[in-house]
Amino acid sequence: MRPLVFAARSLRREFRHAELATLAAALVLAVAALAAVATLASRVEHALLASAAELLGGDLALGASQPLPPEFAAEAQRLGLASHRLVEFPSVLFAGEHSKLADVRATAAPFPLRGRFSVRDAHGVEHAAQTPPSGTLYADHAVLVALGLGVGGSVQLGDRAFVIGGEIASAPDNGDPFRIAPRVVMNLADAEAAGLLGPGSRTRQRLLVAGDERAVAAFAAWAKPRLPAGGRITTLADAQQNLQGAFERGESFLRLAALLAALLSGVAVALAAQRFARRKTDEVALLRCLGAGRGEILAALLLELALLALPACLAGLALGLGLQELVLRLAGGLLPGAPPPLPWAPPLAAFAVGVAVLFGFALPPLLRLRDVAPLRVFRRDTGTRVRRFDVLYLLPVGVGALLVALGAGNARLALTLGAGFAGIGVVTFVLGLGLLRLVRVIAARLHGALRFGLANLARRRALSLLQAGALALSLTALAVLGVVGPSLLERWRADLPPDRPNWFLINLQPEQRAPLQARLHELGAGNVKMLPLAVGKLVAINGQAPKLAEADDRRGESAVNGEIRLSWSEALPPANRLLEGHWPALQPAQPELSVERGWARLFGLKPGDRVSLSVGEREIVATVTSLREVDWTSFHPNFFLMLDPASGAGLPHSYVASFHLAAAGDALAALSRDFPNVSLIDLNAVLDRVRDIVGRVTQAVTWVLGFSLLAGVLVLLAALAATADERRIEAALLRTLGALRRQLSVAVLAEFAALGLVAGAIAVAGAATLGSVLARQVFRLDGYAPPLLPLAAIVLGAALVVALAGWIGTLRIARAAPLAVLRRG
Amino acid sequence: MSERTETVLTATQVSKIVDGPDGRLTILDDVTLAVARGDSLAIVGASGSGKTTLLGLLAGLDRPSSGSITLAGACLDALDEEARARLRRRLVGFVFQSFHLLPALSAEENVMLPLELDGRADARERAGEALARVGLERRRHHYPHQLSGGEQQRVALARAFVHAPQILFADEPTGNLDQRTGAGIGDLLFALNREHATTLVLVTHDGALAARCAHRLTLRAGRIDGSGA
Repeated sequence: MRPLVFAARSLRREFRHAELATLAAALVLAVAALAAVATLASRVEHALLASAAELLGGDLALGASQPLPPEFAAEAQRLGLASHRLVEFPSVLFAGEHSKLADVRATAAPFPLRGRFSVRDAHGVEHAAQTPPSGTLYADHAVLVALGLGVGGSVQLGDRAFVIGGEIASAPDNGDPFRIAPRVVMNLADAEAAGLLGPGSRTRQRLLVAGDERAVAAFAAWAKPRLPAGGRITTLADAQQNLQGAFERGESFLRLAALLAALLSGVAVALAAQRFARRKTDEVALLRCLGAGRGEILAALLLELALLALPACLAGLALGLGLQELVLRLAGGLLPGAPPPLPWAPPLAAFAVGVAVLFGFALPPLLRLRDVAPLRVFRRDTGTRVRRFDVLYLLPVGVGALLVALGAGNARLALTLGAGFAGIGVVTFVLGLGLLRLVRVIAARLHGALRFGLANLARRRALSLLQAGALALSLTALAVLGVVGPSLLERWRADLPPDRPNWFLINLQPEQRAPLQARLHELGAGNVKMLPLAVGKLVAINGQAPKLAEADDRRGESAVNGEIRLSWSEALPPANRLLEGHWPALQPAQPELSVERGWARLFGLKPGDRVSLSVGEREIVATVTSLREVDWTSFHPNFFLMLDPASGAGLPHSYVASFHLAAAGDALAALSRDFPNVSLIDLNAVLDRVRDIVGRVTQAVTWVLGFSLLAGVLVLLAALAATADERRIEAALLRTLGALRRQLSVAVLAEFAALGLVAGAIAVAGAATLGSVLARQVFRLDGYAPPLLPLAAIVLGAALVVALAGWIGTLRIARAAPLAVLRRG
Repeated sequence: MSERTETVLTATQVSKIVDGPDGRLTILDDVTLAVARGDSLAIVGASGSGKTTLLGLLAGLDRPSSGSITLAGACLDALDEEARARLRRRLVGFVFQSFHLLPALSAEENVMLPLELDGRADARERAGEALARVGLERRRHHYPHQLSGGEQQRVALARAFVHAPQILFADEPTGNLDQRTGAGIGDLLFALNREHATTLVLVTHDGALAARCAHRLTLRAGRIDGSGA
């Protein structure tokens, strides 16, 4: 026997039968779902990163306090990257009696490398802009209001006069969205000519580059060791740091969808493989009888599986890639700019996972065929040796776990899903056993077909449990995709309430608090939050000079060497969550300190550690009493370190405030004039950015969820078809014995509806629990309540589909002549 | 066949033609027969002569391409599959060569099937009695894979007789059994047949079994070759 030739022939012949075709279809579907979802997820991620480039104005920015040596631009050019020089400096603009401090950006063409720069002309019409022509500059609305000018007006900057050529409508932020002063954009040559860049000016030089991803990475690697002192590289990841939460949540959503699609497909492949193995049993017995060795049989089986896997995975890949392309085309506004290039890793991974799923889930039943007794040829009921525990069955569990681990890319997501699905499996088994006993008792009291159907469920205990388990897992995955996912997205959107603070105010003196609060109240500002701010230095930790847990940490370095901002509050401020310990007491005997988790990690701090800080003339040694988690995307004033109020009150301090004010413009310009020491920071641009990202991500995720859902429904139907064999012969026999179509229908409906309801009830509970845990642990959304009614509705609907699918399958059998089925059987 | 008593089964000019890969194939050609109540008929013939197809048609498990069949006074051609099922449930019992027991059901549950389908409340009790009659009362909770071939066929016999059918169709009932076990099953089949005064139609290769029937009918390539006394 030549295994390869035999396997190829076997495959060709057996493809005519339903089992192999189902196995192939399940595999095609699995790979298609995975490839489509993972590729789409990757392209959306890529597009989101590209939108970070819009934020930065390029793919990478180098910053330094002196002009960068020319070899930097030369290297960028050598690597085929476009580059652009930009100088930023604060300066005051004058117009008549008015003056305004502005954040000036002097640029040279081409500007910007990435993103959109547009200005409004004198008629308020917005159009795309480039570097302003010589003698002209573009300014933010706040500058024009403060100077009492419109477009076309004249201002003095440095020693030259300029014409306001337009009002800035949108411009990249160069990675720093928190601007203290409004923006002015001017021509670099003009800035030099006006003497604004001379010695002593506080300029920040930037070189922005853009181009091929690998070239950008190569440039970053080249530039890093050559940067002058105080120089800094800002990557796309850095640029989106303020929006990190939004990106991470979006990514987690996409991964969740991809992962569930993969698990669903695994269930379908496993069921189809079981069915295929059953059909193969007779053939293997015959081959053994005819003298084939176990090794040869095993080789032929493995080869047949491989010959099936290759084209099925390829077909799935083609289908999946086609589908994700279709989604991208249909959802035109989904991604900004041109669709990102097709990534090679996700399709390749989908292919590999397809092969792993097939071998992982199909090998155990096939490998057992090795042990089929040749005697089976003579007596069909000579079963394979039954083992109580077979180590082979750990293989699909292992592949499933590997899928979760690889697909999640996030330990919490992996753990939550893994534990969730394992829990559902165990609950189904335990609850199922109990319910089957109950069903047996109930069935005994019923009559006719209903009794027959329910009794069947209890009689086929192993099969019923297997089906209930597969259904419960599939329905849970469907409920998570169909209901929990969208409701989490909705909750996320609700996380950006309309009264979210859009202005920040710093440097407010204690005596100005009351008048400013009154003024804000007058203006109709809402959601006003005010916290004291003291600036100090970190002196020691536990009596020793502060030492970073990781030496190469920029944020840590600035914490050790730079200023530290402290605050205090009687109660835990909003957007803060205590992780460990207690909030500093009002008047403790010794100073107490609450530390943000990330900052604590920099120095390996834990409750009980002592932190020494110097503020002005004073030194405080505070004991860490709690660790906190802070939602930095809340747009409230937040601090790494918070003292107890009694210790804080004695320190020199100012106040920071956040508030929401719609259509602030001119009113705030007046406020700024009346409180000249106070700086106002406009958060509207950042907020718009976050809303934009959340909008895009939710739209993309909705598509991906929708696709996974569709895959899930198809897989569910495939899973049901995989158990149709048992029923086919049975239904034919019952027909022979005189069962009516109505009796078969009622029996099957009762059986499947009971199965669907049990699995559905478990799925509702499972999906609701998973949703709550995902919301808290993975998506960090507080106060999420899973929508139980829609969950129950979708699961009831799915149970109905399950019952109908079973019923329709039986109808087909009931129409066929029983003799034909029995003879084929 | 017997003209003296009531005829329970007749087939008139029955043919069965199917579409095969090489065109149309005539499996049965112009078969006419009649069986009287309480009588027994053996259908014999070489493999592929159409025996099992004829049995299936007579039992109403399939429809003839032409001709008509009357079972217990009901013309099967006029009945749809649903009505034929109703008729089978009341009047017909079956024994198959490969037993056709449901593997997930115990011996007792397999025997209960026809009674449960008929909505009988005393199904378990009657199944127990039927199993006792075939000598398997101690194996009632065993599953088919725990029973020998002979035992499985005895369970099938218990199932066939449990609802006291008027007519029993048996397709090679000893075909899967050794000679001795087959003989035992044959004895049991004829004993039950006598006890219940059932009409018996059986298809067999087993000459001894065929010889125990009152009548024999030989099929050759789908046509009746002749019939015994």
